[in-house]
Amino acid sequence: MASKQIKTNDKHVKNLANIVGGSRSILYHKEDLLAYDSDGFTLHRHLPKAVVFPKDTQEVAKLVKYCSDNQLPFLARGAGTGLSGGAIPMNGEVIISMVRMKRLLSVNLENRRAVVEPGFVNLKLTNSISDKGYYYAPDPSSQYCCTIGGNVAENAGGAHCLKYGVTTNHILGLEVVLPNGEIIEIGENGIPDAPGYDLLGLITGSEGTLGIVTKITVRILKNPEAKQTVLAYFDNVTDGSQAVSDIISAGIVPAALEMMDKTAIEGVEAAAFPVGHPKDIEAVLLIEVDGISAGIAEQINQILEVCNNRNVREVKVAQDELERGRWWANRKTGFGAMGAISADYLVQDGVIPRSKLPQVLNRINQISEEAGLRIANIFHAGDGNLHPLVLFDARIPGESEKALAAGSACLQACADVGGTITGEHGVGIEKREEMRFVFTDEEINAQTDIREVFNPNNLLNAGKLFPMPGRCVEIKKELKEKEAAIS
Amino acid sequence: MSLKEMALKQDPSCTTNSLSNYLWSDAPDENKWADCVHCGMCLESCPTYELTGQEQHSPRGRVHLIKSVAEGKLEVNEQFMDPVFACLDCRACTTACPADVDVGGLIEEARGQIRQAMPLTGWKGSVSKLFLQGIFPHQNRLNSMGSLLKFYQKSGMQKVVRKTKLINVMPQHLVEMEAIMPEIKEPLRKKYKNEKVIKAKGETKNEVSLLTGCVMDVMFSDINESTVNVLTRNGNDVSIPQNQTCCGALHVHAGDRETGRKLAKQNMEAFKDSDKVITNAAGCGCALKEYPELFREDPEWHEKAEEFSAKVEDISKYIHDTGYEKPKAELNTRITYHDACHLAHGQGVRQEPRDILLDIPGVEMVHMPNADRCCGSAGIYNITNPEMAGDVLESKMQNVPDDVEMISMGNPGCMLQMAMGVEKYGRNQKIVHTIQLLDWAYQKEDQLKGGE
Amino acid sequence: MITAELLSDLKSILSEEQMIEGESENHLLGNSGQVTIYPKSEEEIANVLKYANNHRKKITVSAGETKRGFGGIIDSADILLSLANYKGIVEHTPGDMTLTVKAGTPFKELQDYLAEHKQKVSLDPAWPEYATIGGIIASNESGPKRLGYGAGRDVVIGLRMVYPDGTIIRSGGKVVKNVAGYDMNKLFIGSMGTLGVVTEVTMKLRPLAKYESLVLLSFPEGNVEEIRSFAIHLLDSVMEPTALELLSPALSQKLIGENLHTLAIGFEDVESSVHYQEEYVKKIQPANSKMKILQQKEAQAFWDKIYSIGPNGAAPAAGSEIEASLKIGVTNLDVLHVINISQQLKDTHNVVVEAHGGIGHGLCQVNLKGASEDIESAIDQLRNSVNQLGGYVIVKHLPLSLRKKINIWGENPSYFFLLEGIKSKIDPNSVLNHKRYVGGI
Repeated sequence: MASKQIKTNDKHVKNLANIVGGSRSILYHKEDLLAYDSDGFTLHRHLPKAVVFPKDTQEVAKLVKYCSDNQLPFLARGAGTGLSGGAIPMNGEVIISMVRMKRLLSVNLENRRAVVEPGFVNLKLTNSISDKGYYYAPDPSSQYCCTIGGNVAENAGGAHCLKYGVTTNHILGLEVVLPNGEIIEIGENGIPDAPGYDLLGLITGSEGTLGIVTKITVRILKNPEAKQTVLAYFDNVTDGSQAVSDIISAGIVPAALEMMDKTAIEGVEAAAFPVGHPKDIEAVLLIEVDGISAGIAEQINQILEVCNNRNVREVKVAQDELERGRWWANRKTGFGAMGAISADYLVQDGVIPRSKLPQVLNRINQISEEAGLRIANIFHAGDGNLHPLVLFDARIPGESEKALAAGSACLQACADVGGTITGEHGVGIEKREEMRFVFTDEEINAQTDIREVFNPNNLLNAGKLFPMPGRCVEIKKELKEKEAAIS
Repeated sequence: MSLKEMALKQDPSCTTNSLSNYLWSDAPDENKWADCVHCGMCLESCPTYELTGQEQHSPRGRVHLIKSVAEGKLEVNEQFMDPVFACLDCRACTTACPADVDVGGLIEEARGQIRQAMPLTGWKGSVSKLFLQGIFPHQNRLNSMGSLLKFYQKSGMQKVVRKTKLINVMPQHLVEMEAIMPEIKEPLRKKYKNEKVIKAKGETKNEVSLLTGCVMDVMFSDINESTVNVLTRNGNDVSIPQNQTCCGALHVHAGDRETGRKLAKQNMEAFKDSDKVITNAAGCGCALKEYPELFREDPEWHEKAEEFSAKVEDISKYIHDTGYEKPKAELNTRITYHDACHLAHGQGVRQEPRDILLDIPGVEMVHMPNADRCCGSAGIYNITNPEMAGDVLESKMQNVPDDVEMISMGNPGCMLQMAMGVEKYGRNQKIVHTIQLLDWAYQKEDQLKGGE
Repeated sequence: MITAELLSDLKSILSEEQMIEGESENHLLGNSGQVTIYPKSEEEIANVLKYANNHRKKITVSAGETKRGFGGIIDSADILLSLANYKGIVEHTPGDMTLTVKAGTPFKELQDYLAEHKQKVSLDPAWPEYATIGGIIASNESGPKRLGYGAGRDVVIGLRMVYPDGTIIRSGGKVVKNVAGYDMNKLFIGSMGTLGVVTEVTMKLRPLAKYESLVLLSFPEGNVEEIRSFAIHLLDSVMEPTALELLSPALSQKLIGENLHTLAIGFEDVESSVHYQEEYVKKIQPANSKMKILQQKEAQAFWDKIYSIGPNGAAPAAGSEIEASLKIGVTNLDVLHVINISQQLKDTHNVVVEAHGGIGHGLCQVNLKGASEDIESAIDQLRNSVNQLGGYVIVKHLPLSLRKKINIWGENPSYFFLLEGIKSKIDPNSVLNHKRYVGGI
């Protein structure tokens, strides 16, 4: 790993290397770059021009300024676990990798906040403060390796956001390098409601198209005093879905409320963490409540009552942390478990109003039958976030296309009942066109207008989040501009 | 594999050999990478990714590169070699992977291709060749090297060398290794040369054979002694087949699969009459269990290897599963436990050694954070990739609790590396093998009884 | 006459009874219009905006008028667009716990409706009888219970609005989890109506708490350190107060008759949990403090009082004394300093001060009453002190005359060009709430 000479004639590579201090902090050989041609979404691939590893905000700012001055497209990347392709260098970008900016800068328990660099791994924050009884709430299932910078870009969710909210609800301040290289600080000292438009909220979830976050102030929470977990088996999906609504309507705010259908159960029981779910049930609910110990028992009783009223076959409360852990492991490895019953799978990320659950599940069944493909459903039922897993075998000609079409049909089904196309995975490259399921051209324009304020030359992470240009949106916009010019 | 793999399927099929840039037989197995969905769950488990933050030094990055060669997008060259050989082969990614992708297997297969495409040169080549082909497979040479080392230590030469700074002519990392060379005792295979079976103390319950290991038997022969003591004390007849040889792990790690196969065959022959093959070196155990991998293209030997690997078991798991006498004497000591990669990730043995240690009266176990993080030893990685190995070790040593007297583990490579860490960072822990501690407790018990 | 022309133009959009000519006299708080209009449909709103945009007219947006004294340096715009008649529930599916409501719906009306379903919007703004949901969201109002329930940005999941050019834009949606596109909701929450006219607000709801109580803990010594260490102790415990509001002695006197620094600790949960938490507070109660616990209706009555202590733009105080209300943001525990510094203004600046602030979230409200020049210098003084703590002061209520002198938003942030850029992209002609926002946006 000794510092080597930069062996290239590309002046940009040489100059970028100079900014980050030499060969240990830049990759430019095709063999190395190949490892950066995609993130967690692999349907599209493209080689970056180079990958640079800045160590601090100043270096990021210099890199960005250099790219901006020289018209080089660029983007920021964290751990590269995104599921919608937000970090794929579709235009041969210079990738600014944030993984070496991975320090925990400060923890202030009294004021319940921590300051981290963007490359700091999500779970490490909780691990660093858990001995004091605190944690960081957003818990995407990739939290073992995803970075908080990436979480901010994607506005990441997790199993427990039903009660505690998603990333945006836990961000108090950001230091951002704008696409022209300027460094700004929003939410200074982590104080809420700073005067002016809420740029904090706007940048969170902007999928790396408005700026590069270099420092993050997050809210941390005290661990709940008590936690109880319930498992409930239902003989039909409608009863299970109704139980979900009933629990919520009963005035309980569970920390998590997860559901799996029969096909999903078949998968998890065949994989690494089986817990002995009966094979013939149609739905299983995993319900967790937390909070003050004195209030938990009452809520659990209510949940048991609701389940019984909805013809539950069996319902049980976890006896200890070990059992609770096994239930969660079974649920959290659900996607991977599909490998045990299918060669391939495609995961979608629609969200629907909770009450439409039975209706949409019926529609998904229909889609499954029409396509001749099995679809397993694993979802955050509490907030209506569905993850239909379309099972298929890519080796059978035509089946992949069928799966893609079925996946898109599932999103259409969600949009049709007033839902949306992504609850936590982001739009990225994957769902650009599906944005039209939920937004009009004008509404998409309203968003690209905002991008233009921050990112006027569109050098930063271009081609993400919005439907491909060159279609009606752009044409209409041009017309509109001409019209305005005339009047 | 998810749908995402399909993007690639739009290219001409990657399975036709016309595209692949792997030119030799025994190429990386398509089925192994087909399961990788590029999710990234492996990243944080990987010591080299932790240090570099670079994808090509991560498990999924390596898998992607290995696949790319098969698809004809990359060639087998220096740039490809770098990430493939920087892998510690610690298998932590295998544990982390939700889809059970066998990254370790892929790496070894890829190394096989690289070594054939571009044989090693320079000092790395010489050292590698000396150890792998010149010494490890030849017990007598190892023994004499051991004797030489023993002479070197006993003669006082060691002191002279250290004092006169003669040592400084060696590259720094070899100096560090020299400083912690264990004292050399008589190898087990020499000692029991004439005994076919070492009988159980008391009633015989099982018969087992012991892989004495090449380095283990020379440099750590007392651990082998302890292993025999523990086995016989718990009702096992122990045989030590004389024609056994080096397990071949280091050769396979280094890409020399041909020698690996040769050694594997010899060992399978040597142990063909044994029902149970016990190892006390995690690296060896893991290698023996993976013999079938070496014979993917040879159905006859593949079947034999499958049979053989089913018989292999680590001493701690074997003892734990078949039952053992709980020692009664107290060893009053505070210890911590390091999970050898090839025990925890390679063989899934994690709890058994801890249970054994906790069964020894007076042993207080202190938790080591990231206990299953690689120490950087990784076969001869510490010889071939000293800088990365050093960084990995530093990060490991930071996790060793301050207030423990011993660090227990189940692999000789780790023991050397951790001993080096203790020496280098001015710590004072003793490095012990799990089974040694159990044996010492038994011995103490016997002494106390003798004293009554 | 200009007004007559305007009226006749507007008549092509609205019926006559939907518009009245503006007040003849100058209003104390400004923010009037030559013509006040009361649209009943989104289409009417869009048409009015389109008209104003094309004819370079200025529009001030209003409804309950509680925030009439909040920002703006113009006595009268061309059109005062009132959403007071644009109200009502659009959609409520109790099982989804989401609600879509027209912007002009008064907050209390909304909560009363939801209470029938044992649900609520988890915000607790001032003057709930008058304040409308649109205004609350546009001004990003929150109350003491923000600690437990968050603010507008945590509650709003979708907005429907009319852009200055008359385009209807929806942001977010009807579902509680949504990352499709930019989180545009955030941009409009707290934007003071400078970007668009919000017509509908979709929010996620919470169940009504099954039980609530309020622990009032008064500190006779007024020792900041003592209050601080108690607060830290409580915050570091596993208790889950929904409010942890420190009241200045004057405010405490007014609300509970104790002229002492008082902590108002709210608990909302099932009954057993609420009592359990009260017991915990009793256990850690500092030796010389006084405790009073209010249950259910009494607790609610206390909070209701807090929501009506500040000036109300719809009914400004008459007389020579001037009212001001400040929103101050600091790092959580610095609230203690702010309350203390505010308290001192009484003597140094001869003003009446009532202040409270949330120790768990860092936002304070300071209400001042006094002579014009005293108010001016008191605000100045307070702003200096707060700046030193790294915080900010926004003046939420002030007569127009003083707003012309005092920059109610404080210094522009370093990234002001972005705010400006956003405004000029969406409202290039500055039709909406002209000069009412940060930096004269």
